[in-house]
Amino acid sequence: MEPLTWTGSLGALLNPVFQGLAMIFIVAVALQILASFIFRAAPVTTNADGTLTSGNGPIEMITKVSKYSLYGLLGLCLIFLLAGIVMPFGKAGIIGAVSARLAPVWLALFVTFTLSMVYKRKLGLYGKLFDSLIGMIGFGLVMFWVYTAVFTGVFDMIATHDSLAQLSGMKNKLPGTPVRGADPETCGHACWYLLGGDNLARDVFSRMVDGSWIVVRIAPLATLFAFMVGITLGLPAGYFGGKLDTLLSFLANLILAFPVILLFYLLVTPEIVATGIPSFMAMVLFIFPIIFVAVLINSRYYTRPRLRTPLLAGILAVLVWIYLSLISAPGTVLAFLPESLDLFNIPGGILVVFVSVVFVNAPTVFRIVRGLTLDIQTRDYVAAAQTRGEGPWYIMLWEILPNARGPLIVDFCLRIGYTTILLGTLGFFGLGLPPESPDWGTTINDGRKLLSIYPHPALVPAFALLSMVLGLNLLADGLREESLRD
Amino acid sequence: MSKMADYDGPILEIDKLSISFFTRLREIPAVMDFSVNVMPGEAVGLVGESGCGKSTVALGVMQDLGKNGRIVGGSIKFKGRDLSEMSDAELRDIRGNEIAMIYQEPMASLNPAMKIGKQLMEVPMIHEGVSEEEAYKRALEVVTDVKLPDPERMLKSFPHQLSGGQQQRIVIAMALMSKPSLLILDEPTTALDVTVEAAVVELVKDLGKKYGTSMLFISHNLGLVLETCDRLCVMYSGEAVERGSIEDVFDHMQHPYTQALFRSIPLPGADKNAHPLVAIPGNFPLPHERPPGCNFGPRCDYFEAGRCDAQAIPMYDVPGFERHSTRCVKFEEIDWDAPIQVGEQKEKPEVGKVVLKMDNLKKYYEVAANALFGGGEKKVVKANETLSFEARESETLAIVGESGCGKSTFAKVLMGLETATEGEILLDGNNIEQTPIQKRNTKTVADVQMVFQNPFDTLNPSMTVGRQIMRALEIFGIGDTEADRRNRMLELLDLVKLPRAFADRMPRQLSGGQKQRVGIARAFAGGARIVVADEPVSALDVSVQAAVTDLLMEIQREEKTTLLFISHDLSIVRYLSDRVMVMYLGHVVELGTTDQVFTPPYHPYTEALLSAVPIADTSVEKTHIVLDGDIPSAMSPPPGCPFQTRCRWKDQVPGGLCEKEVPPVRDLGDGHQVKCHLAEDILARMEPVIKIAAE
Repeated sequence: MEPLTWTGSLGALLNPVFQGLAMIFIVAVALQILASFIFRAAPVTTNADGTLTSGNGPIEMITKVSKYSLYGLLGLCLIFLLAGIVMPFGKAGIIGAVSARLAPVWLALFVTFTLSMVYKRKLGLYGKLFDSLIGMIGFGLVMFWVYTAVFTGVFDMIATHDSLAQLSGMKNKLPGTPVRGADPETCGHACWYLLGGDNLARDVFSRMVDGSWIVVRIAPLATLFAFMVGITLGLPAGYFGGKLDTLLSFLANLILAFPVILLFYLLVTPEIVATGIPSFMAMVLFIFPIIFVAVLINSRYYTRPRLRTPLLAGILAVLVWIYLSLISAPGTVLAFLPESLDLFNIPGGILVVFVSVVFVNAPTVFRIVRGLTLDIQTRDYVAAAQTRGEGPWYIMLWEILPNARGPLIVDFCLRIGYTTILLGTLGFFGLGLPPESPDWGTTINDGRKLLSIYPHPALVPAFALLSMVLGLNLLADGLREESLRD
Repeated sequence: MSKMADYDGPILEIDKLSISFFTRLREIPAVMDFSVNVMPGEAVGLVGESGCGKSTVALGVMQDLGKNGRIVGGSIKFKGRDLSEMSDAELRDIRGNEIAMIYQEPMASLNPAMKIGKQLMEVPMIHEGVSEEEAYKRALEVVTDVKLPDPERMLKSFPHQLSGGQQQRIVIAMALMSKPSLLILDEPTTALDVTVEAAVVELVKDLGKKYGTSMLFISHNLGLVLETCDRLCVMYSGEAVERGSIEDVFDHMQHPYTQALFRSIPLPGADKNAHPLVAIPGNFPLPHERPPGCNFGPRCDYFEAGRCDAQAIPMYDVPGFERHSTRCVKFEEIDWDAPIQVGEQKEKPEVGKVVLKMDNLKKYYEVAANALFGGGEKKVVKANETLSFEARESETLAIVGESGCGKSTFAKVLMGLETATEGEILLDGNNIEQTPIQKRNTKTVADVQMVFQNPFDTLNPSMTVGRQIMRALEIFGIGDTEADRRNRMLELLDLVKLPRAFADRMPRQLSGGQKQRVGIARAFAGGARIVVADEPVSALDVSVQAAVTDLLMEIQREEKTTLLFISHDLSIVRYLSDRVMVMYLGHVVELGTTDQVFTPPYHPYTEALLSAVPIADTSVEKTHIVLDGDIPSAMSPPPGCPFQTRCRWKDQVPGGLCEKEVPPVRDLGDGHQVKCHLAEDILARMEPVIKIAAE
């Protein structure tokens, strides 16, 4: 079989067009910058129907050229992607084949965007996101990886090979290399290593999409736990102030001042694991969500015991069971739950990753929440709650926290990005996750040894990490912009 | 760079100006067909409620409309030159040099990281390129002109070291540094206390005369405009509705909105019987939902379908007057002198038994002198000093005073957010002064409730209106089921005259006045018997103020509530209160019935407060008493009488007694208490501050 080229049979026709347009675009942008020094912008005129018409000058002309050439480039990219889905597998080159494998993701993205655009006025802050281009791009990138992860991890759809399987003769092969000895009649989508093979002859594309499932599972959940801890401690520190605040802020500073990498190395050292420190830390950190939910419900419904008591008992029972299953694992110091009752066991390595991420992020969240609380507690509605005799926890959780949600949501998005990078770092140092794991950090580390000869095994996961974190940052930007505007 | 050449015509000519803001959804017209001329040396007032476009006009003159705003019609000519045709460089020359602007918030106009002197000197150094010494000399001169004490020290201080009033004077000084031909003042005194405001207004007036500067004075306060301006332009919903000289507009108004505006503001010279308040019905239209024809049509008493809403209405010149015009098609038919149609006046129920009694209440705070380590000497801030009074059932007791007088601390102690240092608070004969709110029983908490000042802050923005009221009901243990409480909540909405559909709205969908009504409903949820209203209407527009005030009084009549009305606005106090308590720096300086407090003999502070209130009535004559300086800090109150540093009667007391001793509380008869050293015969000689000229 022939190795695949990047654009396949489309390339002969479209590649020159693509290159030409790219040249025009670059020149137009350069001219645009120059012209803005020389010419004045033409005045904008107002129409009677309440619209604006831009003027017609040299600047406007050049802007138009660069705009349309950019549209042309984007259109060509779209053609490459769509052609891959429509044409037989492999005919449209690597890009087409990858696009075809990702077809369910494209479909899911298309449905999400269409529905959101149609109902955007009814969807609150989420709907407003679709008014901001930056926000939409960010949301698109994030959802791309979320859908990829879900389709790979749950439905086993996108990967072409097993991410751990090593096929002989595929070591460090370039993108588009056909699998040796595959039967062209029956192999179907497994005929090629679409993005090449790594130094253990594993499929880079499959490892990348499998890695996304690990990141998408751990990063948001770990961030959520960090927020629970930060909020549960930050609210009282800001609201009560005084000695409690001094103590908690000091502890937060202490943790922030500790070198993170050293902390991670310490946590995964077998001797330290044997003493049970990570397990005990998990025990302490994971109890905060339970406290949070219990206080949240109790402060709201304590005036109606008939509703409160069964509700609280039910939710607490479920949460405590999950909590016990979470921290109890056979083979560690905390193995007290009988196996018949233990719902699930978290692999030791993942638990350590989880604990370290929560431990490192919680102090920052604590400080943000504390600051917001200090600001919001001076509002009249907080005073109104005080003067009708509300308890402090009601005020904190129902009067202050909901009104701090804007900055917290933005920070949550940013923090998932940091956590993703942190996971990459941990993987890169080989901490926590098993050495075979397809997560992006580990894969980059594997690929780095032959980087100068075969860059693709490291570049692919690196771009994956980049695009996901970029997406999260853009999403946070978009949310911030839209939540400020009214 | 020099000034523009001398020019004889009008300084500012705004002709049929229209300004729109363009958003993603639609064009929002902010100002439509607006014309005004400002002659040299003339002060023109621009009056209207918030959202009527008056600040947009000012920004339009400065050509500073931002990215979304643009002028869609008409022209703005400054000294005969069209501002929209000037280049950016020319505009930069004019701003700050020929046209200066003074904003509402003084701290926001000053650079907090630069010394005052540097900021002032910058103006002539940039615009006229003068030397540093010359600039310093000029700065010193201007700071002396704005009557700031110790000008040289002022120039060396940072903005945060000055009080609000001093900061605003510095901003005025900065505007005058380059001797501009036009001064735009955008609500320059809103952030200041009444007595400080009076002094600043006085200053602006004097300086306008001295420098011969034309002024565009933007305000929502008709009284202030009367005191400062020669001519007046009333705006409503983006349009000028009436334009003319102060006398013409105040005494011979020719537009229904102007008339309604005057009828909805209380005057301190008259009580509720002589001058009943008439609220303007309905709400201000949103900019993109303006009615066809006359914008004021839907709220107007004289509305005639088919005529008022048929076509856009131009400005008509009023015959018989000079430069007086109105935007009303029916102005010649309306009988402008017809007496006010007043709905039936309900009799107030008799004042009942004593509900609340304060006896010698004191509240001191200890402040560590050294904040960082908490050690060292402790300073005592005396927020409330020997407060004694009684409040009865269905009585309105007004508590009057400026910021820092201790009225908020008093409210906190009464509500139980703080405990008293000394003295007693008796609620139905039970002591509550040492019981913090957590330890009070539900009945006591529900009995004493509060209405807050800022309507935009009083409701939790992330909970529906109905939910918030129902939460109060839950806390006060009212109703057995959710359905019960929902019913009760809907009844409360009826009580405050809000449609029941508002129960499911979020606070951001409500206007300021509506939010304040929800706040009132929430306070009355537990059947409150004592309601502390902390400046409940001061943040609202005048036309809404009247409606909310009337609502409070009506609920009071029905529920026999004791209302403790905290305010600095003496007009509204005169209108609604039975008794008045005047506070200054934690002391009660005067206490008596409304008539006793508003007629001589006064406490000197009350006298100054009365004189400081701007009154929108040309027939009123006021004695001008301008207080020197600012309110002393509560951290270091003056020795002796708290008011002695600003009192104009001090020299009438022999032996410097005022500086040595806190005056005793004296009873002038019928429960009228005054805390002053002045002898009886001097008090008896005092003249009334507000006089209504004989017709």
